[in-house]
Amino acid sequence: MTFVARKLGFYAIALWAALTLNFLIPRLMPGNPVDQLVSKLAQKGQVTPATRHAIELLLGADTSSPLWKQYLDYLAQLAHGDLGVSVTYFPAPVTQVIGQTLPWTIGLVGLSTIISFLLGVGLGTLAGWKRGSWLDNFVPVTTMFQSVPYFWLALILLYLLGSVWAVFPLHGGYDVYTTEIGWNAPFVSSVIFYGTLPAITIVLSSVGGWMVGMRNMMVSTLSEDYILTAEAKGIAPGRIMRTYAARNAMLPSISGFAISLGFVVGGSLVTEAVFSYPGVGSALLSAVNSNDYALMQGIFLVITISVLGANLLVDLLYSVIDPRTRNRS
Amino acid sequence: MTDMTPRTTRRRVLAAVAAATAAALALTACSGGAGGTGGGSSAPGDKDASITVFNGSTGTINENWNPFSPTALQPTLGVIYEPLFWYNLAETSDPTPLLATGAEWNDDGSELTVTTREGVTWSDGEPFTAGDVAFTFNLLQKTPELNTSGTAATAEATDDTHVTLTFPEPDSFMQEAQVLGNQAIVPEHVWSGIDDPITTINPEPVGTGPYTLKEFSSQSYVLQKNESYWIEGKPSVQEVRYISLDTADAASASLLAGEVDWMSSFLPGLDQMLEGNEHISYVNTPALTTSIFTCSNADLGCEGPQTDPAVRQAMYWALDREQLNQLAGGGFAGTGSPTLLLPERDTDWIADPAHATTPAGADVAKANQILDDAGWEAGDDGIRAKDGERLSMTIQTVSGWSDYISLNDTMKQQLAEVGIELEPTQLAWNEWNDNQVKGSYQLSLDSIGLGASDNPYYTYNGKYLSANSAKVGEQASGGNYARYSNPKVDAAITAAASTSDEAEQKAQYAIVQEEIVTDLPYVPIYINSTLTEFNNATVTGWPSNDDKYAFAASWKAWDNGIVLKTIQPAG
Repeated sequence: MTFVARKLGFYAIALWAALTLNFLIPRLMPGNPVDQLVSKLAQKGQVTPATRHAIELLLGADTSSPLWKQYLDYLAQLAHGDLGVSVTYFPAPVTQVIGQTLPWTIGLVGLSTIISFLLGVGLGTLAGWKRGSWLDNFVPVTTMFQSVPYFWLALILLYLLGSVWAVFPLHGGYDVYTTEIGWNAPFVSSVIFYGTLPAITIVLSSVGGWMVGMRNMMVSTLSEDYILTAEAKGIAPGRIMRTYAARNAMLPSISGFAISLGFVVGGSLVTEAVFSYPGVGSALLSAVNSNDYALMQGIFLVITISVLGANLLVDLLYSVIDPRTRNRS
Repeated sequence: MTDMTPRTTRRRVLAAVAAATAAALALTACSGGAGGTGGGSSAPGDKDASITVFNGSTGTINENWNPFSPTALQPTLGVIYEPLFWYNLAETSDPTPLLATGAEWNDDGSELTVTTREGVTWSDGEPFTAGDVAFTFNLLQKTPELNTSGTAATAEATDDTHVTLTFPEPDSFMQEAQVLGNQAIVPEHVWSGIDDPITTINPEPVGTGPYTLKEFSSQSYVLQKNESYWIEGKPSVQEVRYISLDTADAASASLLAGEVDWMSSFLPGLDQMLEGNEHISYVNTPALTTSIFTCSNADLGCEGPQTDPAVRQAMYWALDREQLNQLAGGGFAGTGSPTLLLPERDTDWIADPAHATTPAGADVAKANQILDDAGWEAGDDGIRAKDGERLSMTIQTVSGWSDYISLNDTMKQQLAEVGIELEPTQLAWNEWNDNQVKGSYQLSLDSIGLGASDNPYYTYNGKYLSANSAKVGEQASGGNYARYSNPKVDAAITAAASTSDEAEQKAQYAIVQEEIVTDLPYVPIYINSTLTEFNNATVTGWPSNDDKYAFAASWKAWDNGIVLKTIQPAG
């Protein structure tokens, strides 16, 4: 139990540090939200000093109060689950903006990451088990896809499968023309259809790493004495592969997986930009572009919590999978 | 939306996406059928024609139909809600009466009496009256948070069709375009019941415009024809859908696939792209003058050679605008004017025909002469210097604005010919903008926006009036980023504002123009292209260069409503 308590304590401190940085970093950026909004309006029409005054009042932007007071207010608001009001999407609260975009990101990137992990580890296990078989040919192919810059791979696939052959749609999260958001068959199948190509690109570009790592760990695990012992005892080869070899070979992949799960929320910006996919990445981009402190902080908070949460979960899970990590003595 | 819906939707979407991606790999051959076959447009000649518009929105769309809010969705203004008059900024024209039929000032310019249109109904069936107009302006006047235009008029409806706006100061003539042409009128019977007009997103907008809201989602929304619109038989197009796209690539692909009928994007190689595509056409309506903004006023704290008017004049003459247009503007840019007006539209406002347009090619001899006379002497490295100060300046633009970046690179070479060194820098938009507002720059590449009407007042007041400037380090939110200050110009702008006599205004603007064409705090380069692409398969009647009945760009508020009620189903 002290193991769990120590871990929780460590993560609490990490969370506080992250929250504080989260507060400071946006404020170190040049410009402020009021000027952003004024200048954007100026592109479209007449702007006078009155405009600035009105927007200051509208946003309630009180940049004159001291930083420490803003910090305390920020912590107090967080404690109440209030992330503030977005400037870019005024008057929508940040929680609403994140609520609208996060499910798309988690759905697409999260599931693609899981698929990629399962596929990579599965193929890696087989490739390691049957060294020298045709499966080994996968390794250079998949690593090539991984070494190609992601946006380029995505653009090429979009161009080929979207424009040239028109197999997949060009943009969006679902067919906005004929379906309505809801739990109905046309919408669901449309989401599947629209999500397929982005998912393929993510899987293609990440499966190689899992596969190579897993294959090489399998190879070194298979040369361990206990594998030889197991074989000598006459245990079925399938059982040796799964329970004896793969379980031990997987440990490094699991921790890698935890880290990549944590980055699901933050790492989807390019995918979303290429496929015009609605998600938290594009919201973050527009937040940064318009100095929307509240929205930036909200999204960073989600990213921080998901990274910390995923790590904590795996730390705890690890002690179940590998008992050695529990006792240091 | 109620409180419940977003939450349930979220869960459903999550579940849907979960199912989606899990099945994704197995379903690569999935036969959705909607891809690339023009889901956006209905068949030609269809009476229930519908079109799809891309107005530049990216990412998730957030619902906001509050016409007072600076973050309102663009079709709120002009398509759902209408102003009293509409000002066509695409060509010289008188304001078009919409909800008003006439407006008249009293002699000292403190009272504006508006006659409102009869027979107009709100989309919920209630009649529109002068009372609604009065309510709108009084709401603005007592709610400073919404009053982005600084309109201080109080209003009183004298009867059902007449409303009098009283301004606190006489000579308020220049408020006219703002009040008449830039303020959406809202229904009193709805808005008097809204507790907080500042933060409401007005989810069920009731307007007088040609379209009403049909459905909204965070990725797309649909407006449908207002059956009781006050012009019989208009609009003709049944539904208008707005979508969000993240990149110019996505936009051009959608245009070619027929999924978008109207959009405004600068697409390089547009002519080649459209070759052999009979349905898609485009129009180029240059309107925003790309200029070198200079921090010109040493008295207010500007530093650098550009504070010398001779340097700014030399830059003006040394630029080869034809080459700049070819290399950076894609050949689409229009010719600007040193008066910062639009030479074609504003011919009548430009007093001296000699100042009508910028020179096309470079006049290196003249630029050299100006610099020689001002005491800038050629140095060993080819760059001029004066009193130990090298004629070298930084010019900032936004990283990612590729045409502006090529402008800077080309100008660097052109100006080197006359011994001026230009050091281009690329910044994030935030920082670039902050530098301009606070005056911490030497040269900056930006464009002159559109005013509330074609009256030069709106450009001159914002860009040249010293009251709209500030010391370097302070915010010049009025728009005079060049820190220009000239008592003659100040007096002339103020004098022009206090009269409704156009001849007198023109005489005052002539004084302004005489000063600014020699001072050149903003060095005009060219009028940047505004390319708008149309698909003519479903509808016809888009604005063209022969018929500029409205500004064509799909992002232009107010004009959108005019375009949407003018276009007709094809066939």
